[in-house]
Amino acid sequence: MKIYNRFPVFFAAITFFCSICFAQTSIAQLSIGVEGGYNKNYLVTNNANRSFTNYMPMNGFNIGIPIQYQIADWFAVEADPVYIEKNYSQQRSAFFVGVYQENKNSYVQLPLMGHFMFGGKKLKGFLNTGVYGGYWLTGNVNGVMPNILDINDSKNSGTTIYDYENSYSYNEKYTFDKRKDNRIEAGWIGGLGLSYEINDRYQVFTEGRLLYSFTDQQKKYMVDQIPRYNTTYGLNAGILIHFNNAKTNY
Amino acid sequence: MFAFFSSCRKDIQNVETPESYIGGSFNEVFDAFWDGMNNNYVFWDIDTTNWDNMYKIYKPLFAKLDITKTDDVQKSVQYFRAMTDGLVDSHYNLSFGSPISDSSVSPSYDRKLKAGILRPNYVFYQYDANYYLDSPYVSGIDSVNLLDGSATEAIAGTIGGNILYLGFNQFNLKNSYTGADNGVKTVMQFFLNYLSNPPSGFKGVIIDVRGNGGGDISDLNFLVGNLINNKLTIGHTRYKSGNGRLDYTPWAPAIVTPQTGAKAVTVPVVVLTDIWTTSMAELTAMAVHALPNGNGHTVGETTWGATGPLTNNEILNGGQFTAANFLFAYTSSSMFKYIDGNIYEGKGFPPDDYVPFNLNDFQTYGDKQLEKALTLMP
Repeated sequence: MKIYNRFPVFFAAITFFCSICFAQTSIAQLSIGVEGGYNKNYLVTNNANRSFTNYMPMNGFNIGIPIQYQIADWFAVEADPVYIEKNYSQQRSAFFVGVYQENKNSYVQLPLMGHFMFGGKKLKGFLNTGVYGGYWLTGNVNGVMPNILDINDSKNSGTTIYDYENSYSYNEKYTFDKRKDNRIEAGWIGGLGLSYEINDRYQVFTEGRLLYSFTDQQKKYMVDQIPRYNTTYGLNAGILIHFNNAKTNY
Repeated sequence: MFAFFSSCRKDIQNVETPESYIGGSFNEVFDAFWDGMNNNYVFWDIDTTNWDNMYKIYKPLFAKLDITKTDDVQKSVQYFRAMTDGLVDSHYNLSFGSPISDSSVSPSYDRKLKAGILRPNYVFYQYDANYYLDSPYVSGIDSVNLLDGSATEAIAGTIGGNILYLGFNQFNLKNSYTGADNGVKTVMQFFLNYLSNPPSGFKGVIIDVRGNGGGDISDLNFLVGNLINNKLTIGHTRYKSGNGRLDYTPWAPAIVTPQTGAKAVTVPVVVLTDIWTTSMAELTAMAVHALPNGNGHTVGETTWGATGPLTNNEILNGGQFTAANFLFAYTSSSMFKYIDGNIYEGKGFPPDDYVPFNLNDFQTYGDKQLEKALTLMP
């Protein structure tokens, strides 16, 4: 009795699995391409205790190689190895105007996404969602700060700090600190875009993306540590080339 | 979906300034102080104090104290002393309000006391003026342009007619020199005139900063800038760049700028130092040691070891702060690295020629440190 009761569920599961398999064998298509775009990265943290000091978003760019494997006419899996900049700046205001530092950080990262397609045959909308892992490859800092031990004897009045102290401009490679810097980043990724099939071989697309890191830029090295997360908004465009496009009927 | 994404991040808690705590309980006082140090102390990179451990040990102890009881308030000073006794910052000092305003905590002082290397702080320029300087010499006091409430004293003169000597108790020389007529201005006029128009056979310069507790940083250009005719890099400084203990700006060069019309002094310049030579006095010794012609020397004892410049917290986003209206933490705003790549904070700058001070020898034989400096003159 119990066996009969379970049979329809079992049968439905087998049917679904087979349909996926059939879909896979009939539509399976590998696509590889290139993409690139601009992004704006926000450092999410808290420095409310610092006078006239704010973190500001900065623009960056990214380039990647999207690899898509379509397994249904509405669904593909996608890997997208990418080189991406995640920049931000720290700027001071009021009396301290002109004191700033730009942090330019580059990452390599690998998003793994589900690619959901909808719409017509040529023009399609799509939604990407998944996770990514990345590695903080390099850093560069540039900025201007007051130099407490470079006194300008003629400066003793004015409205900004540089009316009192000489400034020091710098532009140098960021030196990673193994005690502090967490160079592994992971997070969620989501995207919404449009694609257009030029022909059986080529597809162009554009996509708005959100990368939402859930790992702190810092290792846990102190009590009451204030986390720092990257949140990156991007706009990409690219082209995909379809391979083994011939559909097979079974 | 956004809520789901957000839930994967740790909460980002509010960060208060230590000044914003009211201090109604020792819990608040501890949090204000511990966080203030966590975010503002500039030496975490080189300090061996385990500040997280201090949190674990002392947070529960402070929680047991009652801020309305005088005994507990006094006991808190012991806790603060124990928490900070290993801090490398040798400017570091905690001062308190009523009813413990007579208490203070100075880790570097306590360490030197414990090590048995502390002795009373003497200034030697008056003795040297009486026994070594040619007569007449110039001495003066500036009681108008005060440095933290203290008057500046200075003496300048010659030894043997061709060695220039300058001794003073604190660095506020430029303010005295540019201020209305005062005794220190007269001393500095003599010193600078001599440097501008040295006599034939000019042998050298002795700058005595023994017992000198430092002062205004602009004196670095005013004094050492009169010994050079090109900019002189003596090291580098860096500040906090964020709230993390290890968040730092890049190193900025520490530069001494020559004064208008200054000539490069090529004869030996000797700075006399002792264990009480502190802060700007140490930087001066280090700057002279770095003179480009290799003619700078230091003689005496290793200095105090407080080399990080200070300014108000908001200027460089680090350094001194008030915690919960209960205590004031006097601490450096920047870390100083000497041109040789070493950080002498907490260690002191060692002299080229070590001549220890001994009171009995001094009373019997005179100023051996000055006499050693005289042997370095050609």
